Amino acid sequence: MILADVLSNETEIKTAIKNIFFEVFSNLTEADFSWEKEQKDYESWDSFTQLNLITLTEAKFNITLSLEESIGIKSANDLFKCVISHLK
Amino acid sequence: MTVINYLEENVKNYPEKMAIIDDGHHLTFRELSQKVQDFSSIVATLSEKDVVSLVSENSAEFLIAYLGIINSGRIAHLIPTEISEQNLKNQLKSANCGAVICSSAIKKNLSNFTSIKVPVFAFNELPSEPTEDVKIPKKNELAYLIYTSGTTAEPKGVAVSHAMIEFTTKNIVRILDYVESDIDLLPLPLYHSFGLGCFHTSLCVGSTLVLLKNANNLQNILESLKRYNVTTLAAIPVTLTKLLQFDTSILEDHFLNIRLIMTNSTPIPKNTVLKFKEILKKGHLATYYGLTEASRSTFMIFDEANHREESVGKAAPGIDVKIVNNHDDDSKTGQIWIKGNNVIKKYWNNPEADKNLVDGWLQTGDIGYFDEEQYLFLKGRNDDMINVGGEKIAPYEIEEIVKQISGVEDVAAFGIKHEVFGQTIKLNVVKSKDSDLEKSEILTHCMKNLEKFKIPTKIDFVESIPKTDYGKVKRFMLK
Repeated sequence: MILADVLSNETEIKTAIKNIFFEVFSNLTEADFSWEKEQKDYESWDSFTQLNLITLTEAKFNITLSLEESIGIKSANDLFKCVISHLK
Repeated sequence: MTVINYLEENVKNYPEKMAIIDDGHHLTFRELSQKVQDFSSIVATLSEKDVVSLVSENSAEFLIAYLGIINSGRIAHLIPTEISEQNLKNQLKSANCGAVICSSAIKKNLSNFTSIKVPVFAFNELPSEPTEDVKIPKKNELAYLIYTSGTTAEPKGVAVSHAMIEFTTKNIVRILDYVESDIDLLPLPLYHSFGLGCFHTSLCVGSTLVLLKNANNLQNILESLKRYNVTTLAAIPVTLTKLLQFDTSILEDHFLNIRLIMTNSTPIPKNTVLKFKEILKKGHLATYYGLTEASRSTFMIFDEANHREESVGKAAPGIDVKIVNNHDDDSKTGQIWIKGNNVIKKYWNNPEADKNLVDGWLQTGDIGYFDEEQYLFLKGRNDDMINVGGEKIAPYEIEEIVKQISGVEDVAAFGIKHEVFGQTIKLNVVKSKDSDLEKSEILTHCMKNLEKFKIPTKIDFVESIPKTDYGKVKRFMLK
């Protein structure tokens, strides 16, 4: 069963996205995480990190993001909105 | 001439001129030279071994340490900041280094690497000035050591000599017209040949180097162009392609005074070249082809008169490049071989890898062809290496990690075309019978055990992996 099938509301989706951030940024702590925190504020958010965020998101939600959508992700909030738009 | 001689010349000619600008430091050539002298005396007390390892994000401290290690008569072993514990352990053992010098942020990470037994010193743990008079030993013929992925999973050590640096730097300066009045913006990692070569170039002509931590913040790159009146920028093709998301008018405004953008030989999308040709009103985009073993072997300046947007240019002066084709057909395509003073004489303690060097020729493993005017075009790799945004990855390394996962019976990793990175990694995975393994579990395992540029972007579950009678994966069938 894919994750999207069991996520019935936005809170669960948010939790899943937050977990993706913690998996991709191995040194990220609860205190460092914020939905609004932008790419430029992360020391290690480079092109490869961006690619990994998108790849893990696609696998967990069974969706495919376009290049334009992928490039446009600059924060956890951006990723959340993007996932919601695909699951609606 | 060595890079230390470059620095001494600049101290003589422009002592108070700004040499390095980064977040926390503005250093004149005189100040830089003093700090390098002090650092080399400190390094000399850390270890008597020939090699000292350096791992740090881009910073003035990195450059002081790099030059200080060289000035102490030692070889600077440059390590990527994202290195895994296993790779670091392998490199330190192969390099036989006496000490690791790093930033405090890296020291924090290294403290989790329990298998690393070499003494590790953060910059801020070293005395700011030498505490004793130390005799600097003889100059070393070699300057730095970088490990590059080979055709097997074992990284190969590439030790670059002062003579190679001098030869390559002179070519860069001559071909791309670098001058003392340039202000060079560098958002590239200094532990790579591309970024390091840019630093050597700035030091050679006495220009000012504006150092950025990385290329993550595109807005910061654009702002820095204006803030520091930058004249040259070095960036990988991915960064240049991403910059195109800004309005053309914004880019034209910020790149108004740029005379040169230097990029490297990862395939650069033709559209990116065409767009930057339009954006640069007073300058040019240029690229080169080279390996750590044979830096800057060809150069290509994309100008209006030359419409070879997909070429990496012509061989640099003093360098021979030839195509070796063992097929019986008339194809002009074959393996690229390089010979010249930019080519290593041998690998670092690696007789097996030395077989790639034949009578001074380096067999690159890259495939290409020349057009009728001797412009070189790249077509891919001779072996199975995957090139993700300039990072070369052996499939074997990924496969070994994925095979550790319970529920994976077999796996093959290979490169697939990617619009921005040139290539990314795809996995074909055969699951064990009754396994309910999910793709996200494979990714999570990879993220825990591999550097971030080695993470697959696509996974397919398949029935079987095509193999030869000897059990070797038929990779050409996967592509």
